[in-house]
Amino acid sequence: MLRALLYLRFVSAWNWLLTRVRSLRRPKNLIGAAVGCAYIYFFFIHSMGGPAAPRPADEHVAQALARAQAQLPVDWLPAMIALGALGLLFVVACAWLVPTERPALGFTEAEIAFLFPAPIKREALVHFRLLSMQLRSLAGALVMTLFTNRAPILGGNVLTHALGWWLVFSALSLHFSAARFTLTRLAEGGTVLWRQRVLWAALLLVVLGATVLRLPEAMPAAARGAASLRPVVELAVALGETAPLAWLLWPFHIVAAPFLALDLGAFARALGPALALVGLHYLWVVRSVVAFEDTAVDQAAQRAARITAWRRGGRAGGPAQARPGPFPLRAPGRPEVAFFWKNLLSTWPYFTVRVWLAGLAVAVAGAWWIARSEAFAGFASEAALTILIFAGYALVVGPQFARQDIRSDLTHADILKTYPLRGWQIILGQLLTPAAILTGVLWLLLAPAAIMLWPAPETGSMLSAAGHVIAALGLALVMPALVLVQLLVPNAAALLFPAWFQATRARGGGPEVVGQRMIFFFAQLLAMIGALLPAAGLGTAVILALHWIVGVPAAVACAAVAALAVLLIEVWCGVRWLGRRFERFDLSTERPT
Amino acid sequence: MIEASQLAKNYGSFSAVKDLSLTVRPGEVLGLVGPNGAGKTTTLRCLAGIIPATRGSIRVAGHDLAADPVAAKRALAFFPDEPRLFDYLTVRQHLAFVARIYGVRDHEALAQPLLDEFEIADKADQLPGELSRGMKQKLAIACGLLHGPAVMFFDEPLTGLDPLGIRRMKNSIIARARAGAAIVLSSHLLHLLEEVCTHVLILKRGEKIADGTLAEVAARFGSAEGGVNLEEVFIRATGGTEH
Ligand SMILES: Nc1ncnc2c1ncn2[C@@H]1O[C@H](COP(=O)(O)OP(=O)(O)OP(=O)(O)O)[C@@H](O)[C@H]1O
Ligand SMILES: [Mg+2]
Repeated sequence: MLRALLYLRFVSAWNWLLTRVRSLRRPKNLIGAAVGCAYIYFFFIHSMGGPAAPRPADEHVAQALARAQAQLPVDWLPAMIALGALGLLFVVACAWLVPTERPALGFTEAEIAFLFPAPIKREALVHFRLLSMQLRSLAGALVMTLFTNRAPILGGNVLTHALGWWLVFSALSLHFSAARFTLTRLAEGGTVLWRQRVLWAALLLVVLGATVLRLPEAMPAAARGAASLRPVVELAVALGETAPLAWLLWPFHIVAAPFLALDLGAFARALGPALALVGLHYLWVVRSVVAFEDTAVDQAAQRAARITAWRRGGRAGGPAQARPGPFPLRAPGRPEVAFFWKNLLSTWPYFTVRVWLAGLAVAVAGAWWIARSEAFAGFASEAALTILIFAGYALVVGPQFARQDIRSDLTHADILKTYPLRGWQIILGQLLTPAAILTGVLWLLLAPAAIMLWPAPETGSMLSAAGHVIAALGLALVMPALVLVQLLVPNAAALLFPAWFQATRARGGGPEVVGQRMIFFFAQLLAMIGALLPAAGLGTAVILALHWIVGVPAAVACAAVAALAVLLIEVWCGVRWLGRRFERFDLSTERPT
Repeated sequence: MIEASQLAKNYGSFSAVKDLSLTVRPGEVLGLVGPNGAGKTTTLRCLAGIIPATRGSIRVAGHDLAADPVAAKRALAFFPDEPRLFDYLTVRQHLAFVARIYGVRDHEALAQPLLDEFEIADKADQLPGELSRGMKQKLAIACGLLHGPAVMFFDEPLTGLDPLGIRRMKNSIIARARAGAAIVLSSHLLHLLEEVCTHVLILKRGEKIADGTLAEVAARFGSAEGGVNLEEVFIRATGGTEH
């Protein structure tokens, strides 16, 4: 019976490969594939053979480690072990503590339709599923190996990295399955799950608290107050090595040990315990399925089917639930607002002013505390810079995530076309939701960064306190326009190349999809630079021209307004142009299917 | 009032509609019939301004669809064959959204009778995912009727409705035509069309074979006995045989 199931796996994989190869006949896929392959080759594989990468030979490892330690202010390996173990603990804790709708064994809809009514033992099905999950773990391990293989501080070689990652991934996926089965069994046995969860969370907090209490003795005194990320890393290392928590982290160390092994000998020594741990997890899953008989699998199947149905309904993630509108929508009024209202309903319910204000309060208070506390003196400015870099990154990739605009409404384009609105009104209305969400997120990042960058009174900073406030407010002022410019790019792509756009959204793509995504990413980057240059140029000119006359703060304020004007003109032109494009959009020839 | 002259639509090199002219005056209901793939949906989508016509001109309620699309669209409603709804808006929220788009004042007062008429008032706070197909269709129709359109295009409005729903839909269409609306609808349910339509237009491979009032078309495709049987007319006109 398992043979038939394996055949299914194999044939599916083979057909997937065939369709991928066949799709290369279309030029856009071929170009994408070329770019994607080149990218993968140059950034990952090329460097594997290159002289810069560490080879297993001991001297190279030693050299690499020495170099890394010279470059970086901390001992990376213990820090990484500590942070990795803490991260794994967090992920596993989430599996137990956070309720999820995901089924324990993710059967696909087709698998449910064909396999469940078939005369196959449930146990065989479970094994089949576990095997599929192993394949997934293997794929994940290969991808992660491509990334980590470039890290100069790691010992080992490609093989130990791949195997190491695979052990981590399969242990995690088995643990997740086991956790879900166990939780379902507890629930069926009459345990009130949320009470149980609160209990576990409390236990975890007690362990954490006990560890933190013991910290001051364990933590090297010298580490405190240094002007770098060092205190945070040291804190993590100390946390991970102090007693009650260290016991809890022990299994994670075992699982991660093969990956982190410096040489083959260490790898061999670490392999046994790690394999044993994975084996124990496997037994755990199989036992809990058997103890459970059919209900577990059936439930998993039901939930899987329900979720796929929801997905098809267009909402990834949780179940769709009716909820009141974000604000009362009265007619008459600007029709663009109706799209804002509608698209807000399509996202998570957390994007509200109240949640945003709470987030702002937390961010500001936290930043304030860090900026004022002595322990983190010097760290504040680094943290602020990190946040600003992250904000820049969010500005570039954010539009790929916040897509509650024309991109998610392309399937409704025929209905939109019957509305008595000009194209630009539809485009503008559709842009409002992602623009509001991204602006909110960016403001949440800017506020703490601005506070932590507060100029110290004694340093002769270029900006006075007033200038600092005005610069921050100016940046916040231009942010919505900047976000809108960014959002225009993917929306233009969706309207200009609907089929191509659709291809980049599809999951499970080969290198051609990687390449197409890369092309889009660079287009986005280019568009941002192109849009920013005039605004930044004018802003700089205004500052240079005016700061003699009105002083720096006022000049900065004027520059912000000028830059905003330029950006708004750009947005306006973009929206008008896209609107005309939407009016001419011939659904019959370009409708994405 | 709907006027189309020399309407043509090509999909690439394939011409789906050729040289179609038609006029529907207020109070008239034109039934568009023809075999699968005859171009009915294409014609309706062109008339509603969803896809641009390759050639020809279209006037809806006195406005040229190409020159002044917004004014034309304010007067029309299009009902696609598959109801198109937003997955995350409830029935009531759909109506609120549409009211804002069309600038309908006091939409709650207008929406309630529509919800009652189509018997979905008790589902007002549910999402489309929780509605049956027929209910979805009724919701789409209620949304389209909210702004009181003078011109309506229905693509297969009767498929998927229950017998009572069909009866209500028929009555609703007739009532709106009597109130002065110009209506075009396509359907394969010929015996129902007979009860609703004042005129018919028979399409085959994108070309008009016959049009006129029911009696005129029947006379032309000579049912000798005199009784108007659209099914008989259809089969003769489109040159099909039963065997
Ligand atoms: N997007 C498209 N691209 C290319 N050809 C199309 C497209 N849409 C429709 N066609 C073709 O145009 C012709 C008319 O299609 P249309 O959907 O208008 O037919 P119909 O009369 O509505 O048929 P049915 O009774 O099945 O609904 C068909 O031959 C169809 O294959
Ligand atoms: Mg059709």
